Amino acid sequence: MSITGLYVSRLDALPKIFTELQRLNYTVVGYKVVNNVLRLDRLNTFEEVATGVEDVQNPGRYYLIPGNFHRHGPDSPKNFLYPPRLPLFEVSPEWGVVVKDYSKDLRLAFFGIKSCDLTSIKVLDRVVSDVDETYVSIRGNSVIVVENCTQPGNTCFCNTMGAGPRARDSFDIAYTRLGSKLVVEAGSDLGLKIINRLAVEPIDDSTYSEFESVMTKAALKARANFETENLPELLELRLESNAYKEVVKRCLGCANCNLVCPTCFCFDVLDVLRIDGSAERVRVWDGCLNYTYAQVAGGHFRPDLWARYRHFILHKFTYWIKQFGTFGCVGCGRCITWCPAGIDIRDSLLRVLKGGVI
Amino acid sequence: MRKESYKALIPLKSAVVKIRPETRNVVTYYVKLPDGVELPKPGQFNMLYIHGVGEVPISVSSISYEDRVIAHAVRFVGSVTNAFSTLKEGDHIGFRGPYGVGWPLDLAVGNDILLIGGGVGLPPLRPVIDEVRSARELYGRLVILYGARTPEDLLYTYEYDEYTSIPNTELHLTVDNPTNEWRGNVGVVTNLIRTVDVDPNNTYAFVCGPEIMMKFSVKELLKKGFKSNRIFLSLERRMKCGVGLCGHCQMGPYFVCKHGPVFPLWFISKYFWVDQI
Repeated sequence: MSITGLYVSRLDALPKIFTELQRLNYTVVGYKVVNNVLRLDRLNTFEEVATGVEDVQNPGRYYLIPGNFHRHGPDSPKNFLYPPRLPLFEVSPEWGVVVKDYSKDLRLAFFGIKSCDLTSIKVLDRVVSDVDETYVSIRGNSVIVVENCTQPGNTCFCNTMGAGPRARDSFDIAYTRLGSKLVVEAGSDLGLKIINRLAVEPIDDSTYSEFESVMTKAALKARANFETENLPELLELRLESNAYKEVVKRCLGCANCNLVCPTCFCFDVLDVLRIDGSAERVRVWDGCLNYTYAQVAGGHFRPDLWARYRHFILHKFTYWIKQFGTFGCVGCGRCITWCPAGIDIRDSLLRVLKGGVI
Repeated sequence: MRKESYKALIPLKSAVVKIRPETRNVVTYYVKLPDGVELPKPGQFNMLYIHGVGEVPISVSSISYEDRVIAHAVRFVGSVTNAFSTLKEGDHIGFRGPYGVGWPLDLAVGNDILLIGGGVGLPPLRPVIDEVRSARELYGRLVILYGARTPEDLLYTYEYDEYTSIPNTELHLTVDNPTNEWRGNVGVVTNLIRTVDVDPNNTYAFVCGPEIMMKFSVKELLKKGFKSNRIFLSLERRMKCGVGLCGHCQMGPYFVCKHGPVFPLWFISKYFWVDQI
């Protein structure tokens, strides 16, 4: 929730928020441009934050052009809260176990992530917070400064998934860039403390109507062609839809969708052997599109690609509700953008719902 | 509220106190439970870790309550299970468990029990036989149907006489490929279901075996008049964590490791018949 409601400051308040986070001993994580892609990374200075660029996202396409608003890249907060490769513990040949401790050194501040990614953190909270101490310790020390998304991209459908474009709760600070103005609100005591360092005024009528009109337009842009009401049930009634087989004619089974998804949480545990005979047990991301995902030594539960793609869709939109009480999709559109074949999950859902034709 | 944690992924050092070869590719490993670990219930499984190789889910095939030794029948099929063949008595393995939901013996009190096993599907049912033997008056008839590929693949042949000496108990065996010496039934275990005389309204059926065998078994049971709340199945999936976190074992919306592995048929009936769900 918002504690303060909306206040107005100037755009130059943003670097102040950034340095205040650093002063409070947070490592700031935000989007910067690396090799012509927006990457979520640790930032040393506010100047590193991507500026003057816009990401163009279409099915299977991603590039940057000059612009003044960016959304996201392939990385999501998951990369930091639930790292791709995480050594869990070491077992010596004498069976001494050394558990890795990640609780001390990580104080992360997510800066400028969008509402879809904030929602993805809320989803991960439900999925792993009771079961993953690493996640809990990193998450418990994290701060979220979210930017309301005034210009959703072509692959975005956060509004359909109830995940944006405006952040409503679970942030420390939410800000909105309106020309030279910055609309801010605090959602926590820490947020209050930081905003206290800025010069702010209560929002006035004309700024509010500009804010409202920008956010309404953004919400309309971030809608998909399906409704989520009854979606879990409708998909469950169409488990044997041929649409899955149609869609995967283009699928490469590369699992990019799993990797860029901000909520995909499946993992494998590998043994890494050391020269001294000890073994490190390492958690690595796995994805349901990988061929080996449901394979056992004596057989295979999803040998066909269409079955693995169906599991991806059903998990996000049907099973997740039963398992965790929310959708597993936040409508960020990354799986559409970063699919090398440009498979559009919005079209896939429509095909299943409408019996193969769209 | 879930209370597991990734620290639950840390195996406890446990001794292999006895090794018993069963068939050409199945060996039973008797593992001493580490202190503080609760005793498993029939139908549950444990995660066994071979140092530096990996972990596998193995169901509990007998429970020795006095000395806290648990039997695990391991079939050598993959890289981890094959590594078991290098173990000697006295060696150590890693242990986590017990995990999952077991057979509903509480529901079965006062009823007949029909056990249907295929291949290495018998070991998870074996603790049920022990349970019935030790509390014989609690249950009605015990009917065991067991099928394997060949007579050499039949597990626990050395204790079949003990099974049949339990009062009010029948054991019916069948093999797919008989040898010249085989004098028993030939064919799949579903044939036995057809011929056995059980009262579907007073019997709980516990089924464990390859998925295809379970599908045909369930069809026969339904034909016999069994309702879907009297048929229980132990499902197999890839399991890496055992606590419903790694995702691999999902069957529809269920984490088989946590919500199962034993399910009543009605509970999974939306998904059970769907190819590669």
